[in-house]
Amino acid sequence: MQRTFLFFVSIIILFLPSLASALLSLELTRGVSGAIPINISFAISGQPPENVASVISNDLQNSGRFSVQNSQSVDAIVTGQVSQLSPDRYRVSFQLKDAYHDKNTAQHVLISQNYTVSAHALRPLAHHISDLIYKQLTGIRGVFSTRLAYILVQRSSGPARYILEVSDQDGYNPRPLLSSTDPIMSPAWSPDGRRIAYVSFENQRAAIYIEDVSTGSRHRVSAFPGINGAPAWSPDGRKLALVLSHTGSPNIFVMDLTSHKLTQVTQDWSINTEPAFMPNGRSLVFTSNRGGGPQIYEKNLSTGATTRITYNGNYNARPSVTSDGRHLVVLNRTSGLFNIAILDLDTGVFRVLTDSSHTDNESPSIAPNGSMVLYGTLNNGRSVLGMTSTDGTVQLQLPARSGEVQDPAWSPWVS
Amino acid sequence: MKQLKKLAQIMIVCCGLTALSACSHLNHNKNATGDDVDSAGVQASGTGEGDSFADNNANGSSDSSSLVSKKTYYFDFDQNVVHDADKPAIIANADYLVAHSNVHIVLAGHTDPRGSREYNVALGERRANAVLDLLKSHGVKDSQIRVVSYGQERLASPGRTEQDYQLDRRAVIEIGRG
Repeated sequence: MQRTFLFFVSIIILFLPSLASALLSLELTRGVSGAIPINISFAISGQPPENVASVISNDLQNSGRFSVQNSQSVDAIVTGQVSQLSPDRYRVSFQLKDAYHDKNTAQHVLISQNYTVSAHALRPLAHHISDLIYKQLTGIRGVFSTRLAYILVQRSSGPARYILEVSDQDGYNPRPLLSSTDPIMSPAWSPDGRRIAYVSFENQRAAIYIEDVSTGSRHRVSAFPGINGAPAWSPDGRKLALVLSHTGSPNIFVMDLTSHKLTQVTQDWSINTEPAFMPNGRSLVFTSNRGGGPQIYEKNLSTGATTRITYNGNYNARPSVTSDGRHLVVLNRTSGLFNIAILDLDTGVFRVLTDSSHTDNESPSIAPNGSMVLYGTLNNGRSVLGMTSTDGTVQLQLPARSGEVQDPAWSPWVS
Repeated sequence: MKQLKKLAQIMIVCCGLTALSACSHLNHNKNATGDDVDSAGVQASGTGEGDSFADNNANGSSDSSSLVSKKTYYFDFDQNVVHDADKPAIIANADYLVAHSNVHIVLAGHTDPRGSREYNVALGERRANAVLDLLKSHGVKDSQIRVVSYGQERLASPGRTEQDYQLDRRAVIEIGRG
């Protein structure tokens, strides 16, 4: 059997109609050569409100690592069935088959599952099936069931309106968490994905709030004079690193969320900001201009030792670390251009992930499986979100349907 | 007559301290006939002061009220140094605040949209603090001023050219919001 290698360079808009509405529409702009050809077909009986096959196809196609085909000359085949049992009850079954192994062999069927769900669970179930297929065929845990947080800015009529919103990873099911006539910044998901910390300028002063994503209830955790910024959760969810300037200049503090007690981490007159915990919780990386311009430093919270991490270019900021602790993603400026870059902390290899097709890239946020980075960028002067794989091969963009979108945060695994 | 002389003295001191262009700037809107007077012509103070008596009762001299009305100060790229041309206006605002200690202001710092958002919040605060330092050195109390930095979150101009960026890099005095 011939393997077909496909190389996508064109823009593919894969927005298929369904009852769920999307504020962001996902557009794959570049996929990998060597994308796995796959065929997906589901038999439907009844009137399910979601097209499960389309959701799975879009998920896999938009990952850039699969090429969904109509033909049967593929590497993998997904067959399934959606049957309506009663007005709000559906039975969904599917099988993932390896096309290279004969039907009669044990290796042919890789996964076989069935579920009984209500209508509103059909879309999440489809994403879960995509996760299973993705993991089975690539070895990497899929992020199709994760969520995105971002800030929408609407300027069309009158003063600007800022909205903190959460959506599915493909842009569907947007839900506002906060709407304001003052800016909102720096959304940060708690490690359990249940809360979001953010900076709000309501009442024309910066303050940090923590809001429960499902109930919308929130409380204010920091409202010192001056800057209250850049909230970042510790891996155990018990502490929040943040930036305060009431001591005279921006420094990093860690707040114990139970006692609200503050511990000062940096203590100098430079700009220290954008803290992020290393996955072992024992040190913080952060942006500091103590060396002249912004670079990334790491401070060990027990020994107090601080080391500089970045040396490429004269501007490195907004650090985040992959969950295995081995890569650092930053906003880098070289030759006047802002790009998202990834640094291998073991080898020192530094790679730029974004390309010149977008300008003014910013605000990178890593997917929990470490394979994709979500970031803010400009497209024809309009703020949109972009996604790039950490090997730079897959590129997507997510414009808002109306207004502008910025400052995104990828959720952790949602339990 | 005494008041006239005092106003003339203030004006002369003012013009002596600032750049010529700033001088003409200050008086740009104050000529009754709407003519654009150049810096030398500003010394033709009779006309300007004539306006001031007609227009301004509550706030004292027209010159200091035109200075006070200038509440937005611009900064160069990557800088938080107050332009010399802005100092008289900031000082005039300081004088006003010292004379009206019940008035509170919010001093807001801003940047252009390039770079990292939270880092830009810190840069914006440095700009606001530069104005704050000048106000405080002229007697304004901490309790009358609140500083907030919006970084790049409240751009003055939606465009992405150098001209737009210049309008974004600013510190602004807003009166009356505590």
